[in-house]
Amino acid sequence: MLLAVTYDLWAFVSENWRELLDGLVNTLKVSAIAIAGSFVIGLVLGAARAHRVPVVSQLTAVYVEIVRNTPILVQIFMIFYALPQFGILLNQFTVAWVSVMIWGGAFNSENFRAGFEAVPYRYREAGYALGFSPRATFFNVTLPIGGRISLPSSINTYISVLKNTSLMYVIGYAELTTTAINIAALTLETLEALTVLAVVYLALVWALSAGIRKLETKLALPESR
Amino acid sequence: MSSARRRLVLWLGLSVAVAAALYVVARVVDWPDWAEPIARYILEVGLPATLRVSAVAVVGSCLLGIALGTALTIDFAPSRALIRGYVEVFRGLPILVTVFMVYFGLPAISETLKFEALTATSIALILWGSAQVAEATRGAVQSIPHEQHEAASALGFGWVGRHGFVILPQALRRLLPPLVGLLVNIIQNSTLAQAIGGVEVLQAAKSQTERLTFFPPAGIGEIHAFEIFAGVMVLFFVISFPLTRLAAYLEKRLV
Repeated sequence: MLLAVTYDLWAFVSENWRELLDGLVNTLKVSAIAIAGSFVIGLVLGAARAHRVPVVSQLTAVYVEIVRNTPILVQIFMIFYALPQFGILLNQFTVAWVSVMIWGGAFNSENFRAGFEAVPYRYREAGYALGFSPRATFFNVTLPIGGRISLPSSINTYISVLKNTSLMYVIGYAELTTTAINIAALTLETLEALTVLAVVYLALVWALSAGIRKLETKLALPESR
Repeated sequence: MSSARRRLVLWLGLSVAVAAALYVVARVVDWPDWAEPIARYILEVGLPATLRVSAVAVVGSCLLGIALGTALTIDFAPSRALIRGYVEVFRGLPILVTVFMVYFGLPAISETLKFEALTATSIALILWGSAQVAEATRGAVQSIPHEQHEAASALGFGWVGRHGFVILPQALRRLLPPLVGLLVNIIQNSTLAQAIGGVEVLQAAKSQTERLTFFPPAGIGEIHAFEIFAGVMVLFFVISFPLTRLAAYLEKRLV
């Protein structure tokens, strides 16, 4: 058999597109779950921090500092290799979305906290003056304004979440990176596999950031338009 | 002393105190037999490798990134498009994919471009880091008022002298907080070497965790993943936390 010595991207894609597509779907699946999860985590914990809810706010600060100051790979290893020691055995798919969700949630709670804290206090005062309860004030005043302020930074976090799913290579979860690299290891079509990876990731990341810029102008606060 | 600086001093003092306390505890506590050789291996083989990879990556990223970022402010479309493309590509790719490109991709192009795992990680981190620095530098350079350029030109400086002696020294002040942030990110991302088998802190920890699970005499037939990886987390936290505090302080001081 003649080993691959020439660069033939088309042959690589046409022979392996099924596996690559499955990998891409897995990447998108993990990203979607993790992004949704980190949105909820960020929203709840960010609100708790901005409003200085006792205990929750301090615990959130500890969570954020731990996630921000340790490598995500170590966090993945903690969940994949260390939890089984306590009888918690998760499959690769679960580890994949849980670990990036925890990571994204920490960064996102900082984004939302900053956004909520940027809402001028007089706006909230106005809410109270109109007879809104604290909760109604949060949902009608702080969230719509602060949420928009934190939108660009939180979407950057989602993009990082998407990129971080590639790290699931280290636990062997068959997302796009793992699939492409494993195919390359069998067929020696390294350059073709790397080309596919680069094209797909850049397309996803660039499309997302372009979409964001559109969304940003659409959702921008009237005063900053 | 401003309140921001007081807070920084407090956090740094606390970090040093915690690190010292950890050291004392590590000395006093009666460790199980398996722990000491592993701790030694991680700290004496893994840690120097992590620090070496990070140091090379940070210095390389700064030099290349500041040069590219300054060049990005030149109003010449072809060079700007080229640098923009570089920045967008390496900021857009997952760093792991960049690591694979350097480690697997370059040797496939030419045998002379074969690097060992740690070097490949450094190179990949430079590609990513310089893209980050270039973007930050462009912003910092453009934030320097136009009068500074004009004054420097009036004094007879050419483009290189103007940027080297007048603009960049001022831009550097604004660049400092993102550079400290970059340092933290690079230290943490140096663990990516693990994916290609480079022996740094994480790979050292992982291989020892696996060794312990073997039957004697190689291992002890036990799983101690939690203890070992928790130790690695503490190690990275002790290094990163003071740096993130410093970055936050520098950012606040600037505003």
